[in-house]
Amino acid sequence: MGNLLTTGFHLIAGVEEHAGEAHKAEGHHGPSFIGLAVYVLLTVVILFFMMSKAKSGLNQRVFKNPFTSIFEQLYLFLENMCVGIIGSHGRRYIPMIMVFWLVIFVSNVIALFMPTAPTADLSFNLGMALIAVGYVQYEGIRANGVIGHFSHFAGPKLPVALIPISIMIFVIELISEVMKNVSLSLRLFGNIEGGHQAVLAMNKIGDPVFIPVGAFLLPIKVLTCVVQALIFCLLTCVYISLVTAHHDDHVEAAAAH
Amino acid sequence: MSNEQKSSGSPIVGIIIGAILMVGGTYLSLNAKALGVGGIQETLEGQGIPLDFGKTIGTIGVFLILFPVIKSFFIKPLQDAIQERNSDLERTFTEAENLRTEMERMKSDYDRRLAESEANAREQIQSQIREAQNLRSSLMAEAATRADALVQQATAEIEAEKQKVLVELRTHVVDLALAAAEKVVGENMDSERNRRLVDDYINSVEVVA
Repeated sequence: MGNLLTTGFHLIAGVEEHAGEAHKAEGHHGPSFIGLAVYVLLTVVILFFMMSKAKSGLNQRVFKNPFTSIFEQLYLFLENMCVGIIGSHGRRYIPMIMVFWLVIFVSNVIALFMPTAPTADLSFNLGMALIAVGYVQYEGIRANGVIGHFSHFAGPKLPVALIPISIMIFVIELISEVMKNVSLSLRLFGNIEGGHQAVLAMNKIGDPVFIPVGAFLLPIKVLTCVVQALIFCLLTCVYISLVTAHHDDHVEAAAAH
Repeated sequence: MSNEQKSSGSPIVGIIIGAILMVGGTYLSLNAKALGVGGIQETLEGQGIPLDFGKTIGTIGVFLILFPVIKSFFIKPLQDAIQERNSDLERTFTEAENLRTEMERMKSDYDRRLAESEANAREQIQSQIREAQNLRSSLMAEAATRADALVQQATAEIEAEKQKVLVELRTHVVDLALAAAEKVVGENMDSERNRRLVDDYINSVEVVA
């Protein structure tokens, strides 16, 4: 197992070095496309390895397998979060939120031990944010209709004389929706890449006496791994709850009838 | 559940779109300059925003593939297992509740029967006590009757014995008196007339006594 990991790390480093040279020669920062692909592949492999281990313990009445137990706790935590924030229909979104959580968390953990990670790349994070916000818009349109969803952007109904205010609110809301992508992606990128930069900077302090001062940041980085995955999922839940807030009312009204 | 299936759409479509986006993202990333986005990326890079649209599109493609794959490979079985376990627990709790209700019913039935048994036992004991008291009273009455009869019989027997003893005593006294008189006067006084005289005398003495 150890040899396999070492070989894998050498392979990644080699690919990164090979692809990175040309990439950096063009003035780019972060991993190249191939480097990112390798890291994403590594993330997916680790993820499926853990899920396979966890899946083998699903047939027990009480989950004794530690992987299964951890995934069960994660599922229950995310279920509570989704139902608590979105409402009773929040269970529908658990698979998507769980995939986000797993990918972000595993990527962040990779970032603890590797020079870079998928979540240390702004483009990767922007991709995730676009999916999250795009899905939120899709759910909003599905719940309220196209006109109903976009009319929410204009705020409450105002008299005709105040239509310019509604237009301003609409534009601000549109910018706000776009900024959700920036907020989600930049926050994650800043935390993970910022952690790397902080470790590198602190290592330079210890260079003269050969002490890896940056290693002292590891506990904070471990905390960041969990917190950033949580924040991304939490905000996605909040965005979904904002556009499907009427869904529960309709369900309750239907139940009352 | 039907809403969930409706909202998730066909996973195959998502996977195909994801694969297309991955290929497209790769192409875009490797040919950014030729496709005209290289300038924009360089401008953003110059402003400190290291964006590669090819990577972003490729990431969207990866996630469009990952969502259905991970859901069907792991999340759905996990949900089913948790749901089944919860159902098992609910069933167990329901059974336990039913057993508890049954136990309470049996306990109340047992208490009722115990109370009835105690009442019956108490009634029987009271009845036995009453019967024993009646028996005691009748036995005591009979014993008193028999004791009185025995006393009367004994009294009568004593009286008869007394009379008998008195007669014997009188006869003996007469004999003694006659014997004493014979010795005093020196002749036989054992005649019928003498005996009658002594008897009369004793009778007169007895009357005085």
